[in-house]
Amino acid sequence: MGGTGMSQATRPENRATELPTPDTTNRPADSRLSTGRKAGATRWDYVLLQGLRYVAIVLITIIFLLPFLWMTLSSFKTQIDITTSKNVFQFTPTTENYQNVFGQYNYLLYLVNSLVVAVGSTFLSLVLGLPAAYAIARYRVGWLGVVLLTARIVPGITFLIPWYIIFSRIGIIGSYWALILSHMLVGLPFIAWIMISFFESLPVDLEEAARVDGATAFGAFFRISLPLAVPGIITASIMSFIFSWNNFMFSLVLSGDNTKTLPIAIFNFISYSSVDWGGLMAAAVVITLPVLLLTLMVQRYVVAGLTSGATKG
Amino acid sequence: MAVSNPAEYSPKRNTSFVDWLNRHIKLIFILPSLIFVLAMMVFPIGYTVWLSFNEWNGSARQSPQGVGLSNYTNLLTADPRFWDSVLRTFLFSFGAVVAELLLGLGIALLLQGKFFGQNFIKTLILLPMVATPVAIGMAWLLMFEPTIGLLNALLRDIGIAPQPWLGSEQQALWSLVMVDVWQWTPMMALILLAGLTVLPEEPYEAARVDGASPRQRFFYLTLPLLMPTIVVATLLRSIDALKTFDIIYTMTRGGPGYATETINTYGYVQSFEYFKLGQASSLLVIFFAMVLGISLLFIQVRRRWGVQA
Amino acid sequence: MNRKSNTLGLATLMLLLCGLVAACGDTGASTTNTAPTGGAVSGTTTTAAATNAGAATTAAGTTTGTTAAAGAATTAAAAGAATTAAAAGQTGNVVAGVSKNFSGKQLRIITANHPWNEGIKKVLPQFEQASGMKITVENYFEDQLSQKLQIGLTSGSSGADVFMFRPLQEGKLFANNGWLNDLSAKAQGASEWNWSDFQDAARSTVTFDNKVYGIPIVTEREIVYYRKDLFEQAGLKAPTTLEELTEAAKKLTDPAKGQYGLVMRGQRSPAVTQFSSFLYSSGGTWTTSDGKSALGTPEALSAYKLYGDLLKNYGPQGTLNMSWPQAVAIFQQGKAAMWIDADSLYTNVLDPAKSIIADKVGYAQFPAGKAGSKPYNITSWALGMNAASGNQDAAWEFIRWATSAPVVMQLQQSGLPGARSTVWNSPDGLKGFPEEYAKVAQSSAKAGVGFDRPPVVNVGEARDIVGNPIVISIQGGDVAGAVKEADQKFNAFLDKDKNAKS
Repeated sequence: MGGTGMSQATRPENRATELPTPDTTNRPADSRLSTGRKAGATRWDYVLLQGLRYVAIVLITIIFLLPFLWMTLSSFKTQIDITTSKNVFQFTPTTENYQNVFGQYNYLLYLVNSLVVAVGSTFLSLVLGLPAAYAIARYRVGWLGVVLLTARIVPGITFLIPWYIIFSRIGIIGSYWALILSHMLVGLPFIAWIMISFFESLPVDLEEAARVDGATAFGAFFRISLPLAVPGIITASIMSFIFSWNNFMFSLVLSGDNTKTLPIAIFNFISYSSVDWGGLMAAAVVITLPVLLLTLMVQRYVVAGLTSGATKG
Repeated sequence: MAVSNPAEYSPKRNTSFVDWLNRHIKLIFILPSLIFVLAMMVFPIGYTVWLSFNEWNGSARQSPQGVGLSNYTNLLTADPRFWDSVLRTFLFSFGAVVAELLLGLGIALLLQGKFFGQNFIKTLILLPMVATPVAIGMAWLLMFEPTIGLLNALLRDIGIAPQPWLGSEQQALWSLVMVDVWQWTPMMALILLAGLTVLPEEPYEAARVDGASPRQRFFYLTLPLLMPTIVVATLLRSIDALKTFDIIYTMTRGGPGYATETINTYGYVQSFEYFKLGQASSLLVIFFAMVLGISLLFIQVRRRWGVQA
Repeated sequence: MNRKSNTLGLATLMLLLCGLVAACGDTGASTTNTAPTGGAVSGTTTTAAATNAGAATTAAGTTTGTTAAAGAATTAAAAGAATTAAAAGQTGNVVAGVSKNFSGKQLRIITANHPWNEGIKKVLPQFEQASGMKITVENYFEDQLSQKLQIGLTSGSSGADVFMFRPLQEGKLFANNGWLNDLSAKAQGASEWNWSDFQDAARSTVTFDNKVYGIPIVTEREIVYYRKDLFEQAGLKAPTTLEELTEAAKKLTDPAKGQYGLVMRGQRSPAVTQFSSFLYSSGGTWTTSDGKSALGTPEALSAYKLYGDLLKNYGPQGTLNMSWPQAVAIFQQGKAAMWIDADSLYTNVLDPAKSIIADKVGYAQFPAGKAGSKPYNITSWALGMNAASGNQDAAWEFIRWATSAPVVMQLQQSGLPGARSTVWNSPDGLKGFPEEYAKVAQSSAKAGVGFDRPPVVNVGEARDIVGNPIVISIQGGDVAGAVKEADQKFNAFLDKDKNAKS
């Protein structure tokens, strides 16, 4: 292997079981970058390349974060300091915007609503979407893929009036269910489609071996395929969660006063006769925190879970 | 592409319920999602198609009036705004998705493998897509503001003339593309990164033995192996890009003039500003057909690659 | 790596927790604003006692001021300090005459994110106490309000009992569609409440085919905000004619210093309303008396030219994408000598936390053109009753109360221009405004035209048609050609729009 034995050293179990694992590749990261094997030079090449790579990662992260940093800075400013074209770092910090976010409006309620709907819709999308993706990948049910994708293709406006009619007939307008069901239509196709290619890329031999050993079809799915596909599941779930978290149009139309979600509530800072830029930015920062926290936790948990899972497997 | 069907291994000796489940796993896996999607979609789609042959503004006094195909002919032959918006939609989406794919792939390769603080970086990089499109649109609106905005202040600092950004018909669409790229490249990168982590290892071993160069390994191994994921990621992102609404509507409302009006924002205007529900429905149906066509193309491409993977 | 992300994760968590605690601490406070704290239970209290109890439960600030606070009420910060006590001289308490007949009824009110919503929420507990009704108030940004209402009403749902709507934007359509209840009998029957006290223009705005479809709550006029200091330095006076306006804009434009003569809206549809005063004052209007387009006149052309020239020559960069939030931000930052927009936006420039020129702003009536000074003077918002509401009488009781003289007086004293003549004519009614502003608002109201956009059913489409020449004009394109095209399109539109009425 191109670079070093780093991955072998850190993850001997991968070698042993030949299971691909998430989060760390089986190949060293620089295998594509280093110029093959030239004894002696390898070590220094490696250090240099790793250094360069790290600089690049940090740079790119900063570039992507700059607008967000501006938003965060603005959330600690008065309106005068936000709309000025002078130095962005010169201002007297204020926490007033955050006091407004939590003081003037019932943000805790909106936060809970958003969490319930995003967790609920993501979870249910997984329950429906993972088996569907598996079926499409393993049993070649291509048409189902197209049907699911259609749900993602239909422009959102199409649904608003018809859903409102149906949901008010069955009396779930303004309830969590209306929101969860509508968000699922966004999350389910996404999860299914991301997972199709993951299930396809998993080696069939492992499953077959398990089946020969007496595992049922369900067993093969739950014990072999699902654990192997975890990196994809995590990514798809996080995205699906974010789609629900940010959904505006469905939430606006289908929510009631007690089920308003954060993206709707954020509009409290824009009114007919004034825009509270500071409050808006503070609300935008507040909105991101739960997602960041959740993502960090999920990633950590999964890494831990997989390390133990891989050795068992 | 001979994929063996695990169901064939199903033992047929038992007739218990669990066994029945195992024999019908395909059906059981397919049905719930199929039923859900159909239940949620059939009525809205049927309703919209029906409405597209009518004229109605939602009145409680006057029910929809049948107008045959006139909503369609009107859009396709007599409405330059529609075709302009179609062109713009594709320009916007193509520009955004290509940039996102290239940048996303680069970032995914960069982030692949262990490094110090990887979870943290992978989380941080999500931020652009987490901060709610509306808030992001408003923030960029202020940053783009030519007189008091951040971007022109930066340009002045490095001695470049201030730009009108969203206030110019020439720059507005590309300014929006910029925001879209900023917002969605992370998603592209993370999907591709997840794809990279599950690539099989054997081909790389073989390539190493053969002494393939890094470039060869990338073009002859990584890229083809990753292609199914790339196609899916591009497909999903393209669908969303074609449907982009929030940031456009928040930042320009389709202006200046009509310079950033896309099919979706035009559809919104038709429904909620002009109250022409029939006309809007026909537009949505055409839009749907277009995106579906493009998606089927992608799926064809993917099938081709799927064979090799 | 683990430790680092640990620490950061922990920090994030703590931040979040702080937020949650803060939110919890405030939940109690915010519920008192929306819920009738014990109001429904204490049905036996006298009206006067109820007023006190209600007042005590409203957010601090409502009753803290006395008449002495009226002077301080000129600043936006003191907006909430307008007092029931101050209103007492004229009108007595805000819930006098509220009926108990609908005790126990529940009403759902949908409003815009608007100072009216904030104002009414402060006195709502008193109403709930006095009437025994339970009122829930939801508020949305105007675009979303419109969308949410439209979907609910289209699907024939009875979701909201009472809602805020923009009579000039969607009033005719809502009325035509049978979404709004005819309030004529109720309005004309309530003699003590006095429908004729509402300004003529306001009443005509909500009256379609001789039927009253809404009760006006907020009015506004187009005025000129100008920088007193800059005008003084340049030896200029507030512009009284459009020529003077152009002159002043020219003199005060200095891009090298980052200073521009004026700032106005340039986005197609939002600009239409602010363009309307230019049109009227130049002697033009939207439609002729026989319902045809009036855009083909030389007066209209000159107004389009003037509006575009002003922005093109003396406005900042990028006005084509400008709606009021950007325009106001530029004026707040002292980058423009004048800003021409609705008078309802005045609190933005007065607040020192938002505006570096808070103490330097003057107000002027819209300058006179060939046809004199003709700013719009419109009812921007009204309360309507959902025709599908199952609580018609209770809903009317709420509307009647919310638009009664004492309530309007109190809201106007908090800086919100209402539609009642007696309130405008009483010195008490002007206490909430800066003196100069009040004068300009009053004189503008007298000279004003009752609409700021084409008076049609499908206003959204009309605005795009008549707004297009504005965009062309700002770009310096062929204005005459654009106006001609708009004239044709508008005529075709008007033909269809008339049919839509039937």
